[in-house]
Amino acid sequence: MRNRKNAFWVALAAPGIIWLAVLFVVPVYAVLSIALGKLNQLYEAPVAVWNPLSWSSSNVINVWRDLFGSASFAGPVVVRTIVYVAVASLLSLVIGYPVAYFVARFAGRRKGLLLVLLIAPFWISYMMRMLAWIDLLSTGGYVNKALGWLGISPVNWLGGSSVTVVLGLVYGYIPYLILVLYAGLDRIDPALIEAGRDLGLGRARTFIHVTLPLSRQAILTGLLITVLPMLGDYFTNQMLSGAASTSMIGNLIQGQLGTPGLEAQGAVLSLLLLLVLLVPMVYYVIATNREATR
Amino acid sequence: MHPREGWQGHGMPRRSFLKGSVTAAALAALAGCASDLTGSGSVPLPRPDNPVTWPVFTGNGPVKSGLAPERDATLQIYTWVAYINQACVNAFAKKYKCKVQVTTFNTMDEAMSKLRSGLSYDLLIGATVDVLGQLIEGQLIQPLNHSYLPNIDQAWSDFTNPFYDQQWQYTVPYTIYTTGISWRKDLVHENPYTMANPWAMPWQPKYKGRVAILDDYREGISLGLMKNGLYDLNTTDYRQIGLARQSLQELVGLVNLRIDNNDYTEVPTGDTWIHTAWSGDMAAAASYMPKGVPVDVVGYWFPADGRGPVANDTNVILKSATNPVLAHQFLNYMLDLPNVLENISFNGYMQPMTGVTPQVLIKEQILPPSLISTVVTPAYFRRGIGELQLPVDADALWQQAWLVVSNGI
Repeated sequence: MRNRKNAFWVALAAPGIIWLAVLFVVPVYAVLSIALGKLNQLYEAPVAVWNPLSWSSSNVINVWRDLFGSASFAGPVVVRTIVYVAVASLLSLVIGYPVAYFVARFAGRRKGLLLVLLIAPFWISYMMRMLAWIDLLSTGGYVNKALGWLGISPVNWLGGSSVTVVLGLVYGYIPYLILVLYAGLDRIDPALIEAGRDLGLGRARTFIHVTLPLSRQAILTGLLITVLPMLGDYFTNQMLSGAASTSMIGNLIQGQLGTPGLEAQGAVLSLLLLLVLLVPMVYYVIATNREATR
Repeated sequence: MHPREGWQGHGMPRRSFLKGSVTAAALAALAGCASDLTGSGSVPLPRPDNPVTWPVFTGNGPVKSGLAPERDATLQIYTWVAYINQACVNAFAKKYKCKVQVTTFNTMDEAMSKLRSGLSYDLLIGATVDVLGQLIEGQLIQPLNHSYLPNIDQAWSDFTNPFYDQQWQYTVPYTIYTTGISWRKDLVHENPYTMANPWAMPWQPKYKGRVAILDDYREGISLGLMKNGLYDLNTTDYRQIGLARQSLQELVGLVNLRIDNNDYTEVPTGDTWIHTAWSGDMAAAASYMPKGVPVDVVGYWFPADGRGPVANDTNVILKSATNPVLAHQFLNYMLDLPNVLENISFNGYMQPMTGVTPQVLIKEQILPPSLISTVVTPAYFRRGIGELQLPVDADALWQQAWLVVSNGI
């Protein structure tokens, strides 16, 4: 009887397991087979080696040298990526938290409308939104025209500026952060905040000692949801800068994947990025479990 | 390489290259461990002084002469994005009472991957010369039957015996283009035509944030070579490649270099003032000018002596073609002057036909007189320098140098 019960629960998990196997495990194994595979000399194309016993480590060694060797060249790109993502995440949090807080606590009847407005950017494709920014930020675009009305000379936003790239990342991913923060803040029991006030805390101290700790999990989740795609992003940079000096790890991988003969190294770098991204994911899972057991 | 994206010489002392420069992972990957390599690496490398006659393999001969075109057929064309005028395609379909399906790709690498994977089309329009060896040796394309292609007479005579395909066994010419420098005459004070070394034009810090080069490893490194007075654009010399890389790295810092293929929009709009550019892109500049700005402010420079990068694309019939006769007819159709002009009016890229002259292009209002320098003449083609297929290990050096430059390292 017990075995039948177990089989029932396993069967329920089957669609999810199949989904994971087909759309995650198999593709990752394919990337691994290319990363540790061979090179066809005629086509300068990678040849996937499916048998682990025949895998070669030469691509991994080469990428490792690029990253950490005595003549490492990819190191600065990694550092630049981390700095851009850190600044963009922090900015997103600073901008997004008050917005989410306002919607969750003070929007009242307009909450629905504001949520719709927050989700609205998702209705337009990311590429279209970035193309729109190119028009807005171009030399004769509306942003520079507006600055002109204020007596400020035009800014070359698209001339390979780190600021533009970071702001582009913030713009692209902030809605995800706000939605997660909103969900977290909306769930906070108002009675707890009132209790803080009743116990003599001012608005600021209530926020610091009650609201902020209670929204810690939402902040963590929101940051995770934005940081992970930002780290692999190459499109924002490509569209809004295109400068070599703002290149991120995603651009490096994209460059390798698009270059005959270097695809396998691009695959290795992708897998390394995946491994690095697992660290915050694991931390998130641990933190969530800890929170749940409290 | 290409506007729509992107000999076994002196032995390369690999260690010296690595020591004197940044690492060369690609080199190690490609030339490192022999057991990591598969397939043949001995494809001939065509050069003007080393023309190649490709083999015709058993079981992959040309289609027989005198056959009627396939009936109720759908001709499958595989080509670059925005590289063929749909009006030409529609007119062909109407004339030959068939359907034509156009599928596009973004890079030659992507196209090669898909063709190797077994995707089946009739025609590959815009095959670059550097992949011909792969297409032929890999038996992905079939030899042509010249009896179906009488309009080859309208092409420059060079293309009935090109060095990359002697006796035009597999290819007919498609577009032809030069790589030069485009600039905004109203915003940049220098005129490349009066400069001692116009290839050094981008190296001017006063234009910081306004300089861009093409996003293509061959074009990029070639610029670095030419800036240093080196005109072997197929060099396998690690020192020359290293020098080009250093110059480009210097350029990155000097002008906050941007790397993209938007020459045709950025220069007209004034977002970029100096951009290495493909002639065909700049020929279409008039379509991208902002309101009230005349096209005359856009300049395109290519050395008057023709000593610069010149390339041409080819059209080929795939081995997997199910409509080979119709495919020949399409190739022939696209070699007919009125259709050629119609096509150029769409994509800006010239085709090497005797009837396509600067005068005709201006008269037909396909090209503004101020951009006449974008026209490729037979003299340019004959004196120009092709960026041709490299040996695998040298190619790795070029790619690695470019990777370093394009990531601002």
